[in-house]
Amino acid sequence: MNAPLLELRNLTIRYRGGERQVTAVHDVSFALAPGGALAIVGESGSGKSSIAGAILDFLGPAAEITGSILFEGENLSALTPVRRRGILGRRIGAVFQDPFTSLNPALRVGRQIAEPMVHHLGLPLAPALRRAEIALQEMGIERVTEVARAFPHQLSGGMKQRALIAAALACQPPLLILDEPTTALDVTVESQILRLLSRLRRDKGTSLLFISHNLGVVRRLCDDVAVMYASQLVEFGDVRRVLERPAHPYSKGLLASRPPLAAATRGSRLAAIAGQLPTSADPDAGCVFAPRCPFHEPPCSAGSQFLTVAADGHRVRCWKADASGHWPRQQVAADLAPSFRRGDALVNVTRLSKTFDSTRGLTSWQLSLSRGRPVLYRNEKRLAAVNDVTFSISPGEVLGLVGESGCGKSTLGRLLLQLLRQSNGSVEFDGADLAHLPAGALSPFRKQAQIVFQNVGSSLNPRLSVGEALERPLSLFKLAKPDARAKRVDALLDMVRLPAYYRKRFPHQLSGGERQRVAIARALATEPRFIVCDEPVSALDVSVQATIVNLLADLRDAFGLSYLFISHDLAVVAQLSDRIAVMYRGRICEIGTAAEVLAPPHHPYTEMLLASATDDEPVSEPAAVTAPASAGSGCVFATRCQHKLGAVCDEMPPPLKTLTASHAIACHLELAPGAWMPGFTDADGERRQSGARDYQPGPAP
Amino acid sequence: MTGYVVQRLGAVLIILVAMSILVFLATHALPSNAAALILGQYSTPGMQAALEHKLGFDQPLHLQYWHWASQMLQGDMGLSFEMERPVAPMLWDALSRSAVLALSSMAVVSTVGLALGVIAAVWRGRWPDHAASVFTYLGISLPEFYWGLVFILVFGSLLHLLPSSGFVSLSGGVGPFLAHLIMPVATLTLTLLAHVARLTRSSMVEALESMYVRVARARGLPERRVILRHALRNALIPSITVLAQDFGFLIGGIVAVETVFAYPGLGRMLVTALERQDLPVMQAAILVLTAVYCVANLTADLLYAVANPRIRYGGAID
Repeated sequence: MNAPLLELRNLTIRYRGGERQVTAVHDVSFALAPGGALAIVGESGSGKSSIAGAILDFLGPAAEITGSILFEGENLSALTPVRRRGILGRRIGAVFQDPFTSLNPALRVGRQIAEPMVHHLGLPLAPALRRAEIALQEMGIERVTEVARAFPHQLSGGMKQRALIAAALACQPPLLILDEPTTALDVTVESQILRLLSRLRRDKGTSLLFISHNLGVVRRLCDDVAVMYASQLVEFGDVRRVLERPAHPYSKGLLASRPPLAAATRGSRLAAIAGQLPTSADPDAGCVFAPRCPFHEPPCSAGSQFLTVAADGHRVRCWKADASGHWPRQQVAADLAPSFRRGDALVNVTRLSKTFDSTRGLTSWQLSLSRGRPVLYRNEKRLAAVNDVTFSISPGEVLGLVGESGCGKSTLGRLLLQLLRQSNGSVEFDGADLAHLPAGALSPFRKQAQIVFQNVGSSLNPRLSVGEALERPLSLFKLAKPDARAKRVDALLDMVRLPAYYRKRFPHQLSGGERQRVAIARALATEPRFIVCDEPVSALDVSVQATIVNLLADLRDAFGLSYLFISHDLAVVAQLSDRIAVMYRGRICEIGTAAEVLAPPHHPYTEMLLASATDDEPVSEPAAVTAPASAGSGCVFATRCQHKLGAVCDEMPPPLKTLTASHAIACHLELAPGAWMPGFTDADGERRQSGARDYQPGPAP
Repeated sequence: MTGYVVQRLGAVLIILVAMSILVFLATHALPSNAAALILGQYSTPGMQAALEHKLGFDQPLHLQYWHWASQMLQGDMGLSFEMERPVAPMLWDALSRSAVLALSSMAVVSTVGLALGVIAAVWRGRWPDHAASVFTYLGISLPEFYWGLVFILVFGSLLHLLPSSGFVSLSGGVGPFLAHLIMPVATLTLTLLAHVARLTRSSMVEALESMYVRVARARGLPERRVILRHALRNALIPSITVLAQDFGFLIGGIVAVETVFAYPGLGRMLVTALERQDLPVMQAAILVLTAVYCVANLTADLLYAVANPRIRYGGAID
């Protein structure tokens, strides 16, 4: 075997914070061969990013690092700072999670890519900038000169991440460290970035160290996977072996908690890992995963668990790894599938539109000098965030709303709650048109319709304790007498399965999942009938996500709640929704029951979302990374459509074709019910069908 | 960007017109009789009425304003009641001397303030940070005339290093010119440093903890380049705004400093005019100061746009 490119030997990282000491990484060893790709998987707090931090030297003086990090045979932690900086950017490139904050907002994109070449390779600026343009081109970006001269705020998220990858690879380093590079991106963009990375790996032989909490992403790109839990390496091995036959209970739990891309019944729940990550686990007091492990037996807590190495190099930290069975699935008493009668809708949305208009004010005036004499003109900018949308939600029904960021789904959610005023159309709640409601009647409506936001970090007031936050709506809507409030708060905490003593805690003392539970409890405080869930699980780890989705399903069944469940993840939406609406650039392009949307025929955009969500090599998409909205009155998706018919798509608005009583698709294509959409050709020139495919891991079919 | 500049210019114009009306009204509301002031204590009411008619003080207020404003725009600021000389040449001389003082103070405040802020942020929580913080707070917590007097006492009276009052123009030699500037500039700097230094420190701390700085370090760039090019470039944006606000404080400070150091600038001229109720000088001086403040803020807004590409380049690349 070749000498490894990167090797960790007994790496331990401890953070000293005053008296307390937290072990972030405990005795981790693994090796990455030249040209190989290794994934580190685990939930947030498992220590996976600390490993990247130790290699890239950004942990700061509070971190105490023992063990060694060997890169190309040299121990990185023993090098002088200057030698170390010589390796960073030159021999090791790095790409981080959030492309929106990783680019310097004050420097042109091209400069930021050229910078490492100027510094490490000693190139003069002009040729470095030219090389930066070539690098951008390799990343699949068109109009490179324009992009290189642009400032970061002018680029979309996907373009930013491509530019960052180009900068990380500017000096052609043999190793690229990727810390959750696609977590902040849409599924379709994630799919493109993963395809780009696998092409780079194939063409340039770059080794990848890929850090993620998402096992599905890992399968597409990596050879080996290291599963981390509470600072320890719990399983290591070939990616297919680990994903298909996980040996450690935690790996099994992680895999099982991913939602399948299939419509769920009312009784089904996601498999979830109960409990939460220990804050500082003591590895000598038995298996760190034992408190959450369904296969737990007394010997597990007897002493520390050791890594067992199998003949094929597969390593597991569990003494009964081979003996334990499948991760248990939860199932609740299956209700009969509810039937919703149209006409008695709780929420009725008719031809709703919202246009954001930035033409007001002096700043929209532009001076043009291009025609010889100065011309002052007005730069008209109108954005139709929601465009002529019609649907209804029955009492007790969950409508899922899917689409990529910027498609207008959050705006739609806010319009339903009248947090924004519509430009056109109407929203009726329980038969009353909200736009014509007298001011005094809005308060009872607010009591019945609540919202849960995505960003749990900023939607809870950091200076209110959980108890105070939950009492606010009670006093605001006069729902409980002051002496009864404490009792009601306990009841609310119980509903979201948090212990009563959490009332004293503050948001910063809670984990992401716990904060989201508090946010849900706050929404429940007014006993609403309808809740807009605006990406409530998108910022959470897969395992936490499953518990929140299950909680929302339980609450729906217990209180007969209706949701508008907004997400960019079709699988999560399918898990909870009775019906699904697919949104693209302000318009609903497909709406139907969950089963109908997931099964063909699809709208071409739904088809693309489905294909991006499956585990396999992603679909090829026309080169345009971000397609401009079509200028005319035609289909908004025409510029990205795989099945575009021609001029008709650009010029004519697509007709809404009703396939069944509940299923409608806005498209010019012929849509025979039950038939596949025309297939698409993938990279190997093989025709393939995509669609609703259950990608639940398990024995290979 | 064009729209932005047009908007800023429009705002400046509106402020100037509004200020001129306010100045005009305020000075006319002062409890004094201009004609009596000019003619002295032995004048008769008849003589006063004749002079008032000659000066146009018996006309309706809006006509007086229109007359005054159009003269001002033509550079004619009238005659000083006190000196019976045209205001304009006196004012321009004083303004140019004050400008020397103000601009050199601003230059020192911005360089020293930014440097202190950067140093405090880079060594935050350690002695350079604490030293910078003590120094700047000491400066801001005591008024200009206190520091002015301390400087005069130490460097003038005790050590005889620097002249403690007056002004020498450049034609009188570079050495004496600078010597007369050092103490007033130091006094002004000391009282203004805290704003810039503290704000630069906090925005630098934020920038140094940002993702783009981590990314820059992960590219192996030298720390000096990371700090100056990546972090400071972004941290500068809020500092520019606070520097423009400081210019307002500076104008206030100049009045005190010029009095303490007997520096013949606009501030001292204004104080004298106020004492003697010299109406035309007051009006012209206040208006010029307003204009200076507006221009300073306009410059800051434009610099802000230069430093912040989000203002310069709006459009997204699709």
